[in-house]
Parts: sequence; structure tokens; C-alpha cells
Amino acid sequence: MLSFRSEERVGEWCAANGYPMRPLVTMDQLWTLATTWYSTRLQENSRRPQPNEMRSIFAGLGLEGDFWDPQSDSFG
Amino acid sequence: MSLDTQTKLAIYRHFAETGQRPSLQVVAERVRADVNNVREAYERLRAQRMLVLEPDGVSIRMAPPFSGVPTQHVVIVDETKYFANYAWDSFGIPAALKRPGRIHSRCEQSGEPLNLEIGLKGPSPCSWLFHCLVPAARWWDDIVFT
Repeated sequence: MLSFRSEERVGEWCAANGYPMRPLVTMDQLWTLATTWYSTRLQENSRRPQPNEMRSIFAGLGLEGDFWDPQSDSFG
Repeated sequence: MSLDTQTKLAIYRHFAETGQRPSLQVVAERVRADVNNVREAYERLRAQRMLVLEPDGVSIRMAPPFSGVPTQHVVIVDETKYFANYAWDSFGIPAALKRPGRIHSRCEQSGEPLNLEIGLKGPSPCSWLFHCLVPAARWWDDIVFT
């Protein structure tokens, strides 16, 4: 995941590199993802979220659809 | 506490304290175990996606959100310099440490610097955006590229 000054810069980067433009993530969404994923990482019982938990976390932030589904087979 | 958990905590706490990856020997000393047993714990932690190892099987490339190698995503917390694996992880380091910090990165297209203060409740309002090229289902096909 990379940082961009604006949506226009994302479009330019994708076009220049031949990549598809994917859903964009805002600063607030990214902070929530980071705290949800990592706030317990230095603790004994820390672990990565399971696929169903990931789907729920993403959906809670409005990040839905096949792109954010960790078990989607749409991109095989 | 199991050896896997001790190993995981030793690795993550070393990153938190120094900003750098620990060697296998340092981790083994910290958990007071034989290096061969710790190497086996590394493999199990890799299978759990808590670690990404270099091809040598012992050097830590990633202990997310920490990077074992320099990247363009720099995070400063309490005067310690950390490298994050990508933008998401640059936010993850202050979140994991539960400390305010500063993120220094750049716009991937224009090169414009991103200098961002992160408080305990997150970043101040900012219009920068983040783009994830790889679908979630494919992240671990090549996590370094992701």
C-alpha cells in the first residue's frame, strides 16, 4: 500500500505503470485499520485477524467487495 | 508460555526497543533456548504470517508492522527510527507502541514528501490517500511486493 497526494496522482501512477486503479483508502480508514490490526501486536496473545474477522473489519470501514475479501477467487 | 510465543515477543520487543531486527542469536539468548529450536519457532511463526524471513531462513525481513530492512516509510517514535513495510504499517508502528510519532514518506507518483504527526488518537485531518494495488486474497502470494 502506497501513499499519494491525491486521487489524480494515483491515476497518473497507475497509468504510467500499467496497473489497474483500485479502491482508495482515506487517512481515517487507514488509522482504524492500523489500530485494529496492530494495537495488540506486542502482547502475548497477539495474532493476525482470521479471514472472517478481516472481512468484518473491512466492511465496518466501508471497504467491501471482492477486492477486500481475503478468500475471493475473483483475482486468481 | 510456549517457545513460539516467547520467540514472537522477543522479536517484536527487540524491534520496539531498537527499531532494528534482532539476529537469531540475540533472540535465542533472550528466550534462553537453543538456536535450532528458535529457528523452528521462526518457521511456525512464518506459517502464522507473523514473520517474513529472508531466503536464508533466519534473517527477519518483516515482523509486521516493523520492517527488518530500510524502506521509504520511516516512523519516528520517542527518538527511535523505525522502518515500516508499507503505508498501512507506518500507521501500525505508533499504534503497536501506543505512542505518538512522526511518519515520513512520499507521494509515489510526484515524490512530494509526506510528513505526518500521529497522536495517540491518530493523525490530524489530512487529504492524502492510500492505494493498495493487490487484492486482499493475493496479499501473501508476494507480501514484499504487496
